[in-house]
Amino acid sequence: MQGFRRYVIRRLMLLVFVIWCILTIMFGLFQLLPGDPTSIFIDSNFSPDMIERQKELWGLNDPIWLQYLRYIRNMALFDFGQSFFQIAPVSEIMADKVKNTALMIVPALVISIVLGTVIGAIAGWRRGSKFEQSTVATSLFLHSAPSFFVGILVLMVFSYQLRWLPPGGMVSLGGPDGFWEMIVARDYWVHLILPGLVLVSREITGPILLLRSSMLEVKGSDFLDILRAKGLPERQIVTHATRNALLPLVTYIAVMTGLLFQGQVLLEIIFAWPGIGRELVQALNDLDYPVAQAALYVMALVTLALNFIADLLYGVIDPRVTYE
Amino acid sequence: MTDIRAVRTDLSRIRRRGPLARFGEAVLRNLANLKVLLRYPSAIVGLTLMTVFILVAIFAPLIAPYGPFEVTYTAERAVIRLSAPSMNNLFGTTNQGMDVFSQLVWGSRVALMVGLLSALGSVLLGTLIGLFSGYFGGWIDEVLMRATDVAFGIPFLPFAMVVISIAQPSLGLVILLVIFFLWRTTARVIRSQVLSLKTRPFVWAAKAAGAGHMKILFLHIAPNVLPLSFLYVAIGVQTGVMLEAALSFLGFGDPHVQSWGIMLNAAFQAGAMRTAWWWVLPPGLALSAFVLSVFMITRAYEELLNPRLRSI
Amino acid sequence: MVSVLEVVDLHIRYGTGAGEARAVDGVSFSIEAGEYLGLVGESGCGKSTIAKAVLGILPPNGRVAAGEIRFQGRDIVRLPPAEFRQMRWRDIALVPQSAMNGFDPVYTVEQQIEEAIVAHVSWPAAERRKRIEELFAMVGLERQRLSDYPHQFSGGMRQRAMIAMAMVLDPTLVVADEPTTGLDVIVQDQILQRIKAIQEQLQKTMLLITHDMAVVAENCDKIAVMYAGRVVEYGGKEVFRTPHHPYTLGLCNAFPDLDDRERELISIPGAPPSLVDPPRGCRFAPRCPFATPHCSDVDPPLVEVAPGHSAACHYLDRAAEFRRMSEDPEIWRRAGEAA
Repeated sequence: MQGFRRYVIRRLMLLVFVIWCILTIMFGLFQLLPGDPTSIFIDSNFSPDMIERQKELWGLNDPIWLQYLRYIRNMALFDFGQSFFQIAPVSEIMADKVKNTALMIVPALVISIVLGTVIGAIAGWRRGSKFEQSTVATSLFLHSAPSFFVGILVLMVFSYQLRWLPPGGMVSLGGPDGFWEMIVARDYWVHLILPGLVLVSREITGPILLLRSSMLEVKGSDFLDILRAKGLPERQIVTHATRNALLPLVTYIAVMTGLLFQGQVLLEIIFAWPGIGRELVQALNDLDYPVAQAALYVMALVTLALNFIADLLYGVIDPRVTYE
Repeated sequence: MTDIRAVRTDLSRIRRRGPLARFGEAVLRNLANLKVLLRYPSAIVGLTLMTVFILVAIFAPLIAPYGPFEVTYTAERAVIRLSAPSMNNLFGTTNQGMDVFSQLVWGSRVALMVGLLSALGSVLLGTLIGLFSGYFGGWIDEVLMRATDVAFGIPFLPFAMVVISIAQPSLGLVILLVIFFLWRTTARVIRSQVLSLKTRPFVWAAKAAGAGHMKILFLHIAPNVLPLSFLYVAIGVQTGVMLEAALSFLGFGDPHVQSWGIMLNAAFQAGAMRTAWWWVLPPGLALSAFVLSVFMITRAYEELLNPRLRSI
Repeated sequence: MVSVLEVVDLHIRYGTGAGEARAVDGVSFSIEAGEYLGLVGESGCGKSTIAKAVLGILPPNGRVAAGEIRFQGRDIVRLPPAEFRQMRWRDIALVPQSAMNGFDPVYTVEQQIEEAIVAHVSWPAAERRKRIEELFAMVGLERQRLSDYPHQFSGGMRQRAMIAMAMVLDPTLVVADEPTTGLDVIVQDQILQRIKAIQEQLQKTMLLITHDMAVVAENCDKIAVMYAGRVVEYGGKEVFRTPHHPYTLGLCNAFPDLDDRERELISIPGAPPSLVDPPRGCRFAPRCPFATPHCSDVDPPLVEVAPGHSAACHYLDRAAEFRRMSEDPEIWRRAGEAA
């Protein structure tokens, strides 16, 4: 336990270090912006006096090291300032967009993980069967297909040609509002079908391929023979095997969720889903830099946090892992 | 097994020519080994497809009837907007009257260039970092690996979008960004490979024979990680093309070149998904076919390197 | 009284890429109640395959092609799977080759022993616990270690826990399949002594599978020597005293003899034949220093040389001569060169 605590602390320090590096890179990046933020959104008919006052307000006249320290502090406290265009604190906008993105990826992830685990485990257990071969071939194909083109295709077919499903958005205009109202509304689920389908078609391949190969590995273990010799029913033996094969999946899920959280930008654009990725693209197009950098920061944070959790979980679920 | 082979190839190399020539030989020998790939049906399909793409890219000026940004006109000097496929415009035209088929053909050049440059750049960078990090260990390893950790913490697409919108969008910048994204995986994999290689007998033997660090690193260790580096070149081509397409589709591509991603972006912006399927499908399918062909080659190569995968 | 285990003309085949391998090719032996039989031979001779068949855990590409395995008179090969499953561990238990990997790494040792109990009998939890503790004491493990995971045990401890698990339902027959593989020499000895002690104490019927002639000589009261899927010599302790088959002679020479330290150790040169396409005559002929052309032509049957002692060689009448000659390493070396 002592070793574990030390490991957590070391891992936590690395996390803080990486976040600090990323913040520094971001600070430098936004310093490179041509001109200063005032020139971006302040009307040219502002008087020089007003511009000066605004600059003072934002601390742009302070020395750079002070600006840097203030930046780090604000970011650490999730104080992202005010959007240039939307009348809301950026942190509130972020919270809302993260929620929307989660509304798109979480259901797809749950389906992918549950279904993928079952399919992968069966494929690995029935090594060499037709089922295994076709599953692997399909998964490899789906895994390498460019998912945003798949998204465009399903949109063309199911929304524009067949008109079965809405062509985008999270809910219809004037549809349900608020988290709980939404997730119980049919409208939301109907809007989720297409993007969800595209997400599942790609994300499911990870658990399938992983479970299959780890099941193959477990299948060669001697302990399965002993379980058989013990006269356990087949079902119980498969349970043992799956329990062992699941170990690498836990880490994988956390990593995959993190990657998905930053990779779903394309699908949010295609399906006009008001998530954090789409918000970033819009902010960049509108030169709304407070929103843009907050979005970038939040996406990095979520990924890092999930990787961190993955590393910790690994030690918790596998009794063999020791920390020295 | 590999150990013995490594020692043997190593010994055979000991008394010949200068270090650079010898390293070059190792590269060439690995390239020559690639012909074993032809034993894999999937590699044959992939290589055939890739050959088609390469030929199209080379002979683009001969194949494409129009330039990538050339507007096509009717005999009456009217712009041919959003025309369905016809004899004149094989895959139809865009809303600005540009020939989709020609854009597609020119796009293959961009895809190949982006794929190759970003793959080679990232693998070169990643391999060097992995080699130094793994071989020297200590503070060098610490610094390089923490840098890798930071690189892994940066979400690629969002970061690339921010950088591009701050700077000016250009193909070179896109390639640089892709390199920045790709080197980290190669570096980690190569490093762990080096960590195990440097404990092998042939490395002690070289050390005992008085070889310097650089000599051991580039003559004795590097040739043995080459196959892995090659694998990452293939993976890099695939990822690089995908990332360029993704960035371009999101509107962060170089407006001065015609890539498949940019075509898709234009089509998407113009709402062609409702009206002009001929504008959407060709770039999407070309992209898919390109990615798939690289994938099939990669997969076969991976099986070649790691026979355990062969059970599929 | 019926034998505890009677193997009758057993044939086991494995499907391989190169064709069907006859891993076990007409093997017969029997173990009576309380007997300790040693099945000995080089790796790949089919001895472990027999253990797997007795427990019904042949790999998917293996099958019993012919013959019977009678457990207390009932042929278990043709038993309905559900019935056979009920018999496993309760009647026939296993101490496996690979104690290292014999336990599932993600469950505690206790959970895994308990699982074996629950699968067969309905004891209350307290009784299960008591029984497991009792067995842990018997094999010399501390009670507190019950809730440990397998990786927290040393190799020797794991094998002792395996023995405890094998004994938990007080089975009629215990099969020990190379129980000391991968352990260091001192631990090997401890484990074998532990097994022997339990066998004597509880009057267990046991089948020990090993490649080590010395182990069999020290522990067992009956021995079957296997070569290339066949039993070549079979009998009681006299098999060591007056071996008749040249292969047995070779094996006896291959292990140190505590009474005669001066003797040179001899290993049999060459390798066993392919089981996919075994030679026509005596399978040992290619490596045998005494082989004649007749040997590679005609397969010798297993013949009784004394009551309860049989061997499969054409020249059993020259056995005394062979025994003397086989002490000369030169003879084996020449046979190796000829092969």
